Amino acid sequence: MKIYKVILIAALLLPGVSLAGEMGSALKADIIREEPYSDAKKTGSFVRGDKLEILGKKGGWLKIKTAKDSGWVRLLSVKRGISKGGNEAAGILALASGRAGTGQVVATTGIRGLNEEELKSAEYNAAEVKKLESYTQTSEQGRQFAQSGGLESVIFPYLPESQNKGEK
Amino acid sequence: MRSLYSILIFMLAIVMLQACANDFGAALNEVVKSSTSWETGTDSKEASSTNTAKSESKPAFNLLSPSRQEEIQIGRQITGNLLGAAPLVNDEELQNYVNKVGRWVANQGERADLPWHFGVIESEDINAFAAPGGYVVITKGLYRKMENEAQLAGVLSHEIAHVIRSHHLKILQKTQLLNFGSDLLGKQLGRDNQVIQKLIGSGAEVCARSLDKSAEFEADRMGVVLTTRAGYEPFGLPEVLQIIGQTGRDESRVALLFKTHPLPDDRLVKLDDAIGNRLDSIKDGKTLGERFYRLRN
Repeated sequence: MKIYKVILIAALLLPGVSLAGEMGSALKADIIREEPYSDAKKTGSFVRGDKLEILGKKGGWLKIKTAKDSGWVRLLSVKRGISKGGNEAAGILALASGRAGTGQVVATTGIRGLNEEELKSAEYNAAEVKKLESYTQTSEQGRQFAQSGGLESVIFPYLPESQNKGEK
Repeated sequence: MRSLYSILIFMLAIVMLQACANDFGAALNEVVKSSTSWETGTDSKEASSTNTAKSESKPAFNLLSPSRQEEIQIGRQITGNLLGAAPLVNDEELQNYVNKVGRWVANQGERADLPWHFGVIESEDINAFAAPGGYVVITKGLYRKMENEAQLAGVLSHEIAHVIRSHHLKILQKTQLLNFGSDLLGKQLGRDNQVIQKLIGSGAEVCARSLDKSAEFEADRMGVVLTTRAGYEPFGLPEVLQIIGQTGRDESRVALLFKTHPLPDDRLVKLDDAIGNRLDSIKDGKTLGERFYRLRN
């Protein structure tokens, strides 16, 4: 019985739990706050590259813990996970030389990929186009679907390009 | 004797090259002028009004301002070729679901008039494609990475933004004028699609081409806004970028994506610069994790 309760609580906390314990790093210097609001009290700070632990998420904010501080930061200041493949520079070099795009891995593992050669030699598939177009929804059908999910449109202007160019 | 021939051939080649250059000059000037003004976004109304006037008086295809129908024809050809490389996932429920989400998001932009089509294709690559006229295709590999409807809306929004801003049409305009000069201008798009196929190059190679980095950053910013307007939690797209960012940069399933797009970290930093605290007022955005369609395999 007790176990069921634990599972139930875990399920209820799922969005937070799925991130808990995940590692990340800071994409830029930022302030850590007590609550997920921009005017909440400052509890600490980090600089670019600092390692951190992600404990939860709320809207555009992540709850994190660094070596010395913990609290909430803006989601966009954090890179999730630790990059795999060890040497990042080697990965970039491979991309620049086109080596990573040869699709050799695809050929040997048998997993279907979509590399440049495959795209270039692709031939028009009329049956699939017809199928794709058969799923088309009208504007009104889209609206009804939104309504059934409780979605309401919001008036919001397009974002201008970054105001602080060159600042990273 | 032999060297005399070589010199003659060389001179002939130079003369021919110059002739070609002259032919292309006017057409190139025109496209450069046109694409520069498009990028500033000041003349979109002007362009569409001249477009209507032209299509009424002269039925010829003008690559610089195709009619709505011509735009759709170009997009259909590209998408048909892409589907030739990887067919749709055979799951009607999935395709219907993606079309509903996509259609609602597309309603929030300036091209709600287009007959938007969305599809998930059989590929474990992580990628998404847009073609003129309202065609948007994402891979199964990318769909797998998502956790809720707001994230799907975010990804589709980015592609919808490419269509709204005609990013791929502009690429075609630039490259095809370099290849064919003004040959294709004024050709009518007939029932056979040879002219379109010539225009888009071989197969679906246009899908493997990079856009300007600025076009990708613009589509990211617009994507976040379209997602927000649709009533979703605004951070769907950045969350997917964060998830994709965890994939090793040398893995083949992200090779094409990372080759044709700025890296996820750069995109996140650029988005952060543009967003700042502008989204702080959006409190009721939905993620709809419970309604998100889960893949069968």
